[in-house]
Order: sequence, then structure tokens, then C-alpha cells
Amino acid sequence: MDMFAQILSSGIAVGMIYAVIAFGFQLTFATSGTLNFGQGEALMLGALVGLTCVDTFGMNYWVMIPVVCLFGMLQGSFVELIGVRPAIKIKSEFGWIMSTIALGIIFKNVAENIWGRDALPFPSPLPMEPMSFLGANILPMEILVVVGALVMMLLVEFFNRKTIYGKAVVATANDRDAAGLMGINTSVVITFSYALSSLTAAFAGVLIAPLTLTGATMGGALGLKAFAVAIIGGLSSGLGIIVGGLILGIVETATGFYISTGYKDVPGLILLLLVLAYKPSGLFGKSAIKKV
Amino acid sequence: MMKLKSLLPILIAIAGLICLPLFIHNPYYIHLVETILIYTILLYGLDIVVGYVGQVSLGHAALFGIGSYTAGVLYFHLGMPIWVNIPAAIIVTAIFGGILALPALKVIGPYLAMVTLAFGTIAQILINEMTWLTEGPLGIKIPKPELMGVPMTKAEYFWLVSAVLIISLIVVDRFVKSQIGRAFEALRDSPIACDCMGVSVYRFKVIAFVISAGFAGLAGCLYAYSEQYISPNTYNNELAVLFLLGIIMGGRKSRLGALIGAAIIVLLPKLLDDINLFRIVASVIAIVVVVGAGMALSKKITTPKRVALPIIGVVGLAAFSFWLNSISDWRLSIFGFMILLVVYYLQSGIVGFAKSFYQAMVGKAKTTRGGDHEEVDDSISFISTVANQNTGAELLKVDSVLMQFGGLKALNNVDLSIKRGTIHGLIGPNGSGKSTMMNVLTGIYVPTAGNVLYAGESVVGKTSSDIALSGIARTFQNVQLFGEMTAIQNILVGLHHTFKSNMVEIALHLPRYKKEEAEAHARAMALLKFVGLDDLANEEARNLPYGKQRLLEIARALALDPELLLLDEPAAGLTAPDIKELLRIIRKIRDSGITFILIEHHMDVVMSVCDTVSVLDFGQKIAEGKPAEVQADEKVIHAYLGT
Amino acid sequence: MLSIKNLEAGYGKVKVLHGINIDVPKGQVITLIGSNGAGKTTTMRAITGMIKPTAGEVTLSGEKIDGYDSHKIARLGLAHSPEGRRVFTTMSVTDNLLLGAFPRFTGSRPKGDIKQDLEKSLEMFPRLKERRNQLAGTLSGGEQQMLAMARAVMLNPEIILLDEPSMGLAPILVEEVFKIISNLKSQGVTMLLVEQFAAAALNVADYGYVLENGKIATHGPAAKLKDDPAVKAAYLGGAGGH
Repeated sequence: MDMFAQILSSGIAVGMIYAVIAFGFQLTFATSGTLNFGQGEALMLGALVGLTCVDTFGMNYWVMIPVVCLFGMLQGSFVELIGVRPAIKIKSEFGWIMSTIALGIIFKNVAENIWGRDALPFPSPLPMEPMSFLGANILPMEILVVVGALVMMLLVEFFNRKTIYGKAVVATANDRDAAGLMGINTSVVITFSYALSSLTAAFAGVLIAPLTLTGATMGGALGLKAFAVAIIGGLSSGLGIIVGGLILGIVETATGFYISTGYKDVPGLILLLLVLAYKPSGLFGKSAIKKV
Repeated sequence: MMKLKSLLPILIAIAGLICLPLFIHNPYYIHLVETILIYTILLYGLDIVVGYVGQVSLGHAALFGIGSYTAGVLYFHLGMPIWVNIPAAIIVTAIFGGILALPALKVIGPYLAMVTLAFGTIAQILINEMTWLTEGPLGIKIPKPELMGVPMTKAEYFWLVSAVLIISLIVVDRFVKSQIGRAFEALRDSPIACDCMGVSVYRFKVIAFVISAGFAGLAGCLYAYSEQYISPNTYNNELAVLFLLGIIMGGRKSRLGALIGAAIIVLLPKLLDDINLFRIVASVIAIVVVVGAGMALSKKITTPKRVALPIIGVVGLAAFSFWLNSISDWRLSIFGFMILLVVYYLQSGIVGFAKSFYQAMVGKAKTTRGGDHEEVDDSISFISTVANQNTGAELLKVDSVLMQFGGLKALNNVDLSIKRGTIHGLIGPNGSGKSTMMNVLTGIYVPTAGNVLYAGESVVGKTSSDIALSGIARTFQNVQLFGEMTAIQNILVGLHHTFKSNMVEIALHLPRYKKEEAEAHARAMALLKFVGLDDLANEEARNLPYGKQRLLEIARALALDPELLLLDEPAAGLTAPDIKELLRIIRKIRDSGITFILIEHHMDVVMSVCDTVSVLDFGQKIAEGKPAEVQADEKVIHAYLGT
Repeated sequence: MLSIKNLEAGYGKVKVLHGINIDVPKGQVITLIGSNGAGKTTTMRAITGMIKPTAGEVTLSGEKIDGYDSHKIARLGLAHSPEGRRVFTTMSVTDNLLLGAFPRFTGSRPKGDIKQDLEKSLEMFPRLKERRNQLAGTLSGGEQQMLAMARAVMLNPEIILLDEPSMGLAPILVEEVFKIISNLKSQGVTMLLVEQFAAAALNVADYGYVLENGKIATHGPAAKLKDDPAVKAAYLGGAGGH
């Protein structure tokens, strides 16, 4: 029973990180129908920039977060301008898939050259003594991860629902042409959605970094699994990604514990393949009508 | 004579491959060329998925690995010889290709890319973790295969690889030029039209992945014996990206392009190991691009704005190379950078670019594919004469069909009865449900309620391709041709149902396949002549004028040997003379006994050819009868003119 | 106010419009009628930048706007209620209306009192007032059409383009839509109205243009066009005799 509670609590923390990154996928998919295949690299860069801020510039963890968020926005805008906008212009799906993959590879390689190939420890802003709760040992950092992820998603939701600029983003997601007729510059909205998407990824990076190690290779698997979460939950459902994230986080932790940590990435990806084979719109998504 | 000329390059290539180990004794270079040949085989397979079917696959590194490990495991655990391992690797990998295709069936584009990426990741993890089978990270050592009890020399193995490459080239070339290859291209250009031509998109997507995986497995097996050591790390996602880079950089749908692509991805890492060499190459590329852009500018082929970015890019790359001390750390960035350049500025690859650049510089007009004019054999009956006897009997019965999208009833209990040998018009204002009816009849939509009986059998729930094969052909409101294929190839897709030959017959060019191909070709030409397009047989469909595209669509539908032909606004966008020609064609087809349903807004067309007209409004049938009666109907006038 | 000279446009290889001239003077309602596929919606899209015209000129209050992106044109005070309504289905009625006023929020058009205008437009469309907090996707077709029109009004525009407001609506709703159009007209709103329902459109308009195969076949004062046999012919083919 204790073990179960332990798996549950660790799984929830990991799952919330997946949910935040998946949330980033949703943001860009909604406005432009495109996805950043380098989303994991955005997270990795966020974590490493955060590490430099803390280690080299001696910044406080909490002060560093807005800096990293700002960096994430710049990085996301860069990806959109270089990799996505030209592809949207020529309506080439192949184009944005390949160019976001290419940018991801470049970011990873640049990170390797700047921060080296080894995984680095990230100092935790909170005490590392676990607290006992219902028989499980929970790290304060894990609670921060869950709270931080929820706050980030709620903030973006608040922005989208309550401000006119947020409404412009939602309108663009609804119907890009019609949004243009309202006087909304939809190209800027798409760039902004990429900025926001990378911001959430970078933020997720500094949240998870103290729990794991940071390094140039940390992003790839996280990005792929967050995509799995986005698909499992449905690319249009906010609740879906939280549920999807939690399912994946818990299944994965359980696999790591009961089978082998080497296999822990497998169940999520198999789940992804199964969902795509049987319900491509996701567990919470609505299926679209074919148009001829 | 013609044949010899086209065979010449291949003969020279074969001679070169035979001679290479005789003159170059340095094993390093032999191994390098061998690797290029092996990658080329893989790229042939990948090109089927990327170039012909138009899907992004990031799973081919894993398939390559599965091929290697099949050979490795069979040798390591069972001591099997290469003659067993090659077919085993092909079959095992092809099965995995089929498995990969299953989730891929329902998804497209970015989803598929992610699915293949996930597949690649899982495969790599499994190879790593299943140590009882694969020895895990330790890897497996494999000696060179034995030939009559003696291990092959490096040169002998090179010749083996060369022979396999040549065979692969011929087989791939024959596949893609057969009905299978045409089905691949058709499903890329328009999946919906493909299904409606009786070519099942699902089925051929799986076939494409299976064939493609088979080649990946073959390449993987050869690679294992070439390297003599395999380990899981080789088959990572970066290799998958590299393969994709190879295929788009070399040029899609080109055997030469795959070879060039393979050479680039094999040689590039070697190049990047040597900073001095890299500096020279980067400078040469920069000079070539600048000079080429200059020439293009002087001939006004391009604009300064369009060449600015690539010039900045390549010059920047050259400058970067001089700034760096060591290049190998930046290897992946350079790959990424090349992908960006290729994706936006070299979309048709080196082969495609060289072709169009050459043509533009020489100033020669684009020659049509195939060239020679063909005589049309007028004796061929190109339209299957449907039994004229039962004229007047009911062919299609639509029985209170309801089609609901959310709250909207696009069709609200509509009944239709279509008599054999007649032309039945379907008219109504925009949004009244006409096209929805077409989509219900052809299985694209499944009606919420009601039934559709065709020749006495219900078609509800059948797939589009089954319905098409049972004899209902259609055209589309917004033309759905296979754009990158020529006019005649479009028709040949419609004739897909006349082919019975299988893959072995295609690969070996056995008599039945050759006969079917010749017959289909002759009939396609006859159909093109019927709609007046025989002069344009080898022109790509997307380059045809709009009016001709509509006629080509009708000819393609006829190729299906339909009993019922659905035309969705055939006259839309046509000029007056085009419409006259269209009417002539419609009447001629009707005379052969084919039944029509015709959606049209041009009232003069409807009035002059239709036997019966049904009027839809708000998803309901508001009138039906002879054209003149309908035209005088108060309700119809109201629906069109308003109050 | 809005003037269109020799406008040509199409999709890809297909040229739909072959040189169109339309003039919309301030304070008038102009209607563009024609059968399906004549090019009415293409004209609208070319005016508001949803597709780029291949030739010709469009000017709004003297400013040349052809080639502009649609968001820029909207900010110059041209409101377009597009074919098929295109309301933002996952957003509330109120949010849809507020988005209609987007350029006023961002300061690219005079702000005025947005709140008050919101209430005013809800008064004008009582059906919407009852449903102001409902999601637009849950509205009926007629209500969505009202919403699209109200959204256009929220811009405080110089001119409104209405593209097939009656499409897919039940006759009783069509009547209501046209009542609102004449109501707007009485407030002095300049409008360009594209319609399949020629009779109703000509009843409300000052001047009409008949589009046939991408060309203006005839034009004249609405009252006169109503009795023109050629107009009837444009709808039911041979009926009126070419």
C-alpha cells in the first residue's frame, strides 16, 4: 500500500510536467495547426539557462523563473519565424515538420557545445528531505511541480478568457480567416502562441530540473512523451491533457518500479500508438467531419 | 535503340562497381562506397513512403536496425548463413513495417511523423533492453558471410552488395511504374479520389510501408555483415532524420537522387571530421550558389529577394567554418542547418533542382514526360457498354436518408429513385444538401438513418472503394485529380481494377503483367481521346487548364467501368465552348447505357440533358419531375428567387 | 465610400472574376446578386483581402486597399460578415461581439463606448440578448447569422459587407434578417449586400448589380432591376429567355 502511494505521488509529479509541455503543443496546434517537434529542446534550453542564471549569475531560483520565461518566449518566437512561418506561407506540412525537427537538433547541439555533454545537477530551491504523507515520501519539490504546473495552465487560461488579446488568440484558434476579418493580425497571434508554448516548456524545465539532472539530452524523450499525452488527452481538451499526463506519469513510474527502469518509456509510447489506432482524436477530443 | 540508350548509364555503373575493388585496394574506401550502396537501398525503400506516398517517416532507422538485428540474432543464436538471413531480415522487417502502418492508417502528417518517431524510440529501447535476445548495449559481432565454406573477401562482399543494389533498383523502378506505384501516388495526391477510384487508401498505405520496410530490412542485414558489429546506439532518431535529409536533398522519386542522397549522408560526417576540407567545401558551395544565383538573376529567372536568404546562409556557413577550430562538435548543427536550407530552398532535391536549373538556363520549354506521340487504336471499346436492356428499371434507390451533423440536418428524409439509362439532375441553392448526397452515395459519409440500395443491394456501411468497385463512379465539385501524375496516369489509376498481377509478376515483368499494362495503356489512350485530351496524355494533371481537368476527371471515372456516374457540378468554371463539349460527352456516355446523377447550377445544362430533375432545399426534396415542370414549379422559383 | 475597378481574382489557376466594377456610395445599400458560382463570394473575399486580387483596384474612402491583409482592411473600418457566418463557436455571444470591436480595443479605431455599443447591438438583436452567455456554437443557424451581423456592427464600421445572410435559413428567419438590414439602412449604415434571394435583396437595396460568370451582366437602380427579365433569367436559366 505504501509502495502504491509512493508510485502515485511520484507519478503525479511527472505527469503534471508532461501535461504542461503537452499544453504547449495545444497552444500552437490551436492557432496554426502546427506543432513544435523541438518542444523538448525548448524545455531543455529553459532548464540550462535557468541553471546558468542560478549557478553563474548567482540568481535566486524565484528571480530566475521570469528570466527563463522571457528566454522561452524569445526562443519560441525564433522557432516560429524561422521554421514555421515560411512553411505556413507555402502550405507545406513537410516543411514545418522538418524545420522544427532541424531546429531541435541545432538547439540540442548548441547546448552540448555550451554546457557540455554531461548531465548537471540543479540546486533545489526547497529542502530535499521528503515529507511523509499517507504513507508516501513526498519531496517538497514534487508539490511545487504540481502547483507550478497548475498555476501556469490556469494563468494562460485566465489570459485567454478574460483579456481581449487572449480572446483574439482563441478566436484565431476557432477560425483564422474570420479572426483576420475582425482586425486581428493572425500571423502575430501564431508567433505569440509559439512564444507562449516555449515559455511553458522552459518553465516546466526549471520545475523538473531540481528533481532530475539537466543536460542537452533531457528534452527528446520528454517532448515525445508530452506529445503522447497531448494525443491521449486530445489536442483540444484542457482536462484531457491533465488526465493523460497523470495516466502516463503513473503508468511509467509503476513500470519503472515493477519491471525495469529501462522499459519505463515504453508503456507511454505504446499507449500513444493504441490511442492513435483506435481513437485518433484522443480520449477527450471530438472527431472532425471530413470535408470534400 | 532507345532501350540501349537508357540502359547505358546503368551498364556503366555496373562496370564501375565491378572494377572498383580491383583498382582501389584501400579497404577504407571500399567500405565507404559499400556503405553508400547500402544506404541507397534503404533510401529506395524510404522514398516509397516519402516520395510516392508523401508521408514523413522517422521510423526507418529503427526498421534498418530491425533488419540488422534479425541477421545478427539469427547468426549469433542459430549460426544461420547469410542466404537465410537476407530473406529473414526482409520478412521480419516487413512485418514490423506492417505493424508500424496500423496506427498510421488513421492518421496523417504530423501525427504520422510522431507515431514513427515513437516506434523508433520503442524499437531502440527494446533492442537495448532485451539482452537475452540482442545482447543489449554490448552488441553482436558478425563475421563476413561464407561462400562455399570460405569467408568472403572484402571485394567479394562488395560485389554482393552491388548486385543486391542493382536488383533493388530494378525492382523498385518496376514497382513504382506499375499499378502499385500509381496507387501510392494517387493516395498521396488525393486520398478521397483514390478511394472513389476503387483503390483502397488503407490497403495501399500498408503495402507501401511493408515494401518500404522490406528494403530497410535488406539494407540493415547487409549493413550488419558490412560493419561486422552491430549495437543499439547506431539506430537512433538522428539516423532517421539523416535518412530523411538524404532523400529530400538527393531528390524524391528519383533513383539517382537516392544515390546522391546516400552519398551525401555517408560522406558528410567524414567531411565534417576534417576542418580544412570542410572549409574548402563550404567555400566552394558558397561560390557555386552565389555564381548560380548571379546567373539566374541575369536571366531574370529569380528575384534578389528570393536568393538573398540562401546566399546569406551559405556564405554564413563558409564564414562559420573559418571561425571554428574544430567542426566535429558542431556536426549536428550543420545537419540541422542543411535541413532548413533544403526544406525551403531545395524542395525538389539536387536532382530536381539540377533539372529545372538546366532547363531554365538552356531556355528549353519543359518537355512533356514520355515525349513520343502515340497512335490511338480506335477499335478499342473504351466504355464498357452496360447492358442497355433494362433501361427504365430502378438502379439506385435512396430511401428516406437522414444525414445529421451535430444539430444540422444536411439531408432530411430524402427519397430518390434513379432509373437505369437516364440522366437524373439534382439542383438546389447552396447548402441545400446536394454534395452531401453525393458523399452519402459514395460512402464518404455514413447516413444517420435511412438506406441506399444500389442494384438491389444496400451500400450503407460499405467503404468508398468497395462502392466504387461495385460500379458507382464520381467526379468532384472541387476537382480532385492526382496533380503530380500525368493525364494518362490519372486514367490508369481508374483502370486499377483491371489489374490482376501481383508483386512478383511486376518485379519479374512476367507476361500477364505486361499484357495487362499494355491493354490498360491502350484503353487509357482511347479514353483520353474520347474527351479530347490525347495530345496532353503526358502532361501533369495540375498543369492542365481548368476545363480540361474537369474532362479528365470524367474520363478517369469512366475508366472504373461504372454503371452509375455521379457528376458534381461538371460545368462549374467552364467557358461556353467547354460546356458544349461537355454536353456532347455526357450524351455520348449516356448512349452507351451509363446512368447519371448530375448536380449542376448551369440551368441550361440541366434543362438540355436531364430526363428527371429533383430539387433540394434545406436538405429536403421540394420538387421532382421533368425539367420543364420543375422549372415552372412555384416552390422552386421561391427557393431560388426568394420572396 | 468603396469603389471597385476592373477587379480580377480567382483560386489558383481558376479565374473567377473577369474585371468587375462596383461603386458603393456613402449611406447607400448596394446589392450584388447572381446565381450560384457566378463569383459573388469571390468578389467579397477579394475586397477584404481573404484572397489577393490578380488585377484591378479597390479603394476604401480614397485609400487603395487591394493587396492588404484582411486585418489591416478591418482596421480601416470595413466590416465583413462572411459567407457561412463564421462565428467563433467555442466562445460566448458576448465574446464574439467584443471581438468584433477588436480594433477599437487596440486603438486602431476610435474607441468610443464599447460597453454601451454592446448593449445597443444586443437591443437590436433581441434573440442574442437572451443568449448572451451561451456559446456561439450552440446557437441556431438564424441566431448565428444575427450574431455575425451584430459582430460586424460592433466595429462601428464605415461600411458593412454582408455575404449571403439568408443562406441556409428558414424563410421566417430570412424575413427577420432582411428586417434588420433595412433597420440598419435606416440608421444610415453603408452596406454591400450579396444575395441569392434576389427579390428580397432588391427590395431593401438602393442600387443593384447582377453578376454572371464573373462579369457584371447588368446594373441599375434596385426598383428598376426588379422588373428586368434578364434578372429572372440569371436565376432560372431559359425561363426568362436570353
